[in-house]
Parts: sequence; C-alpha cells; structure tokens
Amino acid sequence: MLDLIVFLVLLTLGYGFGRRAESQHYKSIIAREKQLQSIPAVGMKVPPLARPYTVTLVCGNVVISVDYFKRFLAGLRSLLGGRITSYESLLDRARREAILRMKEQAAGMGAKLIFNVQLTTASLTRGKRGGIGSVEVLAYGTALIE
Amino acid sequence: MQYSNPQIPEGINTSTEHPLKEFVLLTGGVLAVVVVVVLLLGYFADTFSNRIPFKFEQSLANDRFNKETSAPQMEAYLNQLAGKLAAAQKLPGDMNITVHYVDEDRVNAFATLGGNVIMFRGLLEKLPNENALAMVLAHEIAHINHRDPIRSIGRGVVIGLALSMVSATLGNAVTDQVLSGGGMLTVLHYSRDQESAADEMALEALRAHYGHVNGATDLFEILEAAHAGLPQAEFFSSHPLTQKRIERIREVAATLRTAKAPELQPLPPDFAAWMKSEAK
Amino acid sequence: MLLTNIEIIPGKRITKHLGLVQGSSVRSKHVGRDIMAGLKNIFGGELKGYTELLQESRDEATERMVAQAEAVGANAVLNIRFSTSSIAVGAAEIFAYGTAVVLE
Repeated sequence: MLDLIVFLVLLTLGYGFGRRAESQHYKSIIAREKQLQSIPAVGMKVPPLARPYTVTLVCGNVVISVDYFKRFLAGLRSLLGGRITSYESLLDRARREAILRMKEQAAGMGAKLIFNVQLTTASLTRGKRGGIGSVEVLAYGTALIE
Repeated sequence: MQYSNPQIPEGINTSTEHPLKEFVLLTGGVLAVVVVVVLLLGYFADTFSNRIPFKFEQSLANDRFNKETSAPQMEAYLNQLAGKLAAAQKLPGDMNITVHYVDEDRVNAFATLGGNVIMFRGLLEKLPNENALAMVLAHEIAHINHRDPIRSIGRGVVIGLALSMVSATLGNAVTDQVLSGGGMLTVLHYSRDQESAADEMALEALRAHYGHVNGATDLFEILEAAHAGLPQAEFFSSHPLTQKRIERIREVAATLRTAKAPELQPLPPDFAAWMKSEAK
Repeated sequence: MLLTNIEIIPGKRITKHLGLVQGSSVRSKHVGRDIMAGLKNIFGGELKGYTELLQESRDEATERMVAQAEAVGANAVLNIRFSTSSIAVGAAEIFAYGTAVVLE
C-alpha cells in the first residue's frame, strides 16, 4: 500500500515538474530560434568556394534527463508496442537545443553560415538495467567566418 | 546562392496528444491485459492441478514432517476431532488428515500438501470452547477437501512463470511492479473465494457433527476485538473481512432449525496442560 | 519531393537553401515480438518482427522530415543522413535529417 502511494507521488511530481520544465524550455527554444534565424545551418559539405572564408569547427551539446512520468509511460509502451510519444518531445527539445548552442557558438565567432551539420544522439543510462537516465545530443558543423 | 533559414512549424516531430490521456489509456490497457491473462492462466492451472493425485501430494509433503511429536496428547486429541469432522464433511476415503501441533506464539493455523494441518499454540490458547476449535479445524479440512493447497501452488507457479517471462524482457523496474501488483491482486481474489468456500463447508461439517453452528463465531469475534481500530482493506488481503465472515456464519445459524437448545461443547479439561510441549 | 543523400544532382541547379530539416520517430516493440525474439535466440534466423518495426520507424521518420521540408517550401532534400540510437531497452529512435533546397 505504501509502495503504491510513493509511486503515485513520484509520478505526480514527475508529471507536474516535467511538464513545466518542458513548456518553459520550448518557449526559450522558440525565442532563440527567432533570434538566430540569421545563421542558416545546412548539411551540405561543399561550401561556396568563391569567398576566402576562415573555417572552424563549432559544436553544441546538451544532456536532458527523463522524468519519472515519461519513463513510466515508456515502460508501459514497451509492453504494448507503438510510438513512445513521451520521448519524442524530449528528443525534439534536445536536438533543437543542441543546434541552437552550436549556432550561438558560431555567432560568438562572427560566423554567418554553418556547413555540414551532423547530429549524434546517445543515451546515458544510470547503470541499472534498461533504465534510461538521460539523453545527450551533440550537434557539430563547420562555421564559415568571412 | 541564397542561404535562408525559414522557421519550421511545430508539431511535426512531436505529437499533440495530451500525456495524461495516454497515461490513462496505457495503464488501463496494461492492467486489463494482465487481469485477463492471470485469470485465464489461473483457471487452467487450477483445473490441471486438481487432477494431480493426492498420493503425489502426500509423497511430496510427508517426508518433511517430524514423525515424533513433542505434545502427543494434544495431537492425539486434535487428530481424533479432525477424524470426526472429516467424516462429517464426507472427505474422500483416500485422503487422510494429519494434524500437527506447534508450540509457538503465532496465532495461526494452515493446511498444506498431503492432508497435513498445522496448528499453533497462539491460536489454540485463544479458543474458548470445542466448537470454536472445530470451526478452525473443519475450515482447514475443507481446504484439503477442495484441494486448495495444490491448486494455489499450481496457480502460483504458472502465473509466476508467465510474469517473469514478461518482466525479463522489460528493462523497467517500475513496469515490473505494475505487472506483479496487478497479478497479485487477481490472485488474492481467487484466494478470498477459496476462503469463503472453506467457511461454508466447515459450517456444514459443524452442523452435521454437533447439530448446530453456535460457537463458530467465537474465535473470529476474539480476533476482531484484538484488531479493533485497524482498518482492514479487503481488496488487498487474502481473506474476506472478518466481519463479513462473522455475518455469514450468523446467517447460516439463523437458517438452521435445531431440535434441542444448542449447547457449546467445552474443551477437554487438560487442554491447557497439553499445550506445553514435553521437554525432550 | 526528391530525396537523396548526394549533394550535387546531375543536371539540376540549387537555387535556394532552406536549412536543416529533421524527422524522428521513437518506437517500441511489444511483448509478443520480444518473446518470439527470445525464442529465435535459440533457433537463429532473421528477426522479422524487429526488421518490420525498424522499417516502419524509418518510414515514419522520413515522412516527418519530408513534411518539414514541404512546410518551408522546398522541393528536394539533399544529403540525407540516418541515425539510429537506442533510447531504452526495446525502443529505438530513428532520426533522419537533410538539407531542404529548391532545385531547378
């Protein structure tokens, strides 16, 4: 009986705080994307060869942790199969945040373009079997500085 | 070459379904599946275990019991009473009841494989008369009559196996708990049904042996008084609520019309002395 | 919508770059497939259930990427890359990203 109560409390905490953190993060992401709209990031490898750009590697990474509610939903989902919607928003946030940080680094150097952007995702588990602890996304590319 | 960075609309890589709705659907779905599977498995395990011959049970169990006893008079008396109650219940001839007395404080009695019934001193101390003792004994004999011990074990094994097969594939400890919790609650439901059925058969045996069922509620009332104040949650327990059992017994008592005024059979005079096990 | 993982398309010219578009899909298997996979661990052979699952997942990720590209007005996505990462036991995220362009 006590187990059930502890579980429900953790679930509510995870849900409440998780939702709040997520909506705040999304607001911040959308605002910064507007700001950094002037720096396009593309996946192409071949930059325009006409101008004498200085090239440098820029990267941005972020580690976001999974809250209890999301983890529980994912666990149930792994029984029934299908899309794990609770992780989709998590990964979307992490990716966009990583790209924004990369752009911020580029903007700090005065770059106007980022080429050959690549992304890699990793899951950092806590060591217990199967439990996902957090997700890391790294975005890296080459910034072209005039 | 124009490089632009138009804003991409939200909602393509995420879904707009509210997480709480998904939570309710998923939890409901999983619990429903667990309950159905456990009920089905339980039913099959039950019918199969019922077919296991009693002799097999006896061979499993009888090696584990001490042939010598530390309280021979108590056991002789208990076994004698058990024999009479078994006859009153029309226990099949090949099933023998052996009652074992254990000199410990526990307020408990249970029936296990091979027709063995264990009774503890803690419970026997609380009995005011022979009718109450007979109710407890007849209840345990009824469990054996229904083959409850082997059925519970069969069910437990089958359901445990199924749940562990599913849990092994999961990484999530939390979902593990949900599954085993759901399975356990369904199994407790079975167990409550078994207890009610054993109560009914025990009452029948009492009526056949004594002619009435008075005194059957005595032990329950004593236990209920001891537990007063603690709320019992029937949903989470393996027995029906004590109050319900008392009411059921009273119902049955009311329907019986006895020829003579019911009198309670007292316990044998040396009962308390027999409880102390002889020093070895 | 042209989808390709090369950069320079023979016979076409890129007139506008519209930035990075991404599509991702996180899917999980269900217990049935898992138990079958467990059995296959003994007997060997292709895990058709999982292959199907990842195929569906990849299709969905590509669809979402294309949806993003259409939303910004592109008619081709170049330099597509796929990445699979294991997110939890039994769940994988398939992520497809590329550059949305207007080709002529």
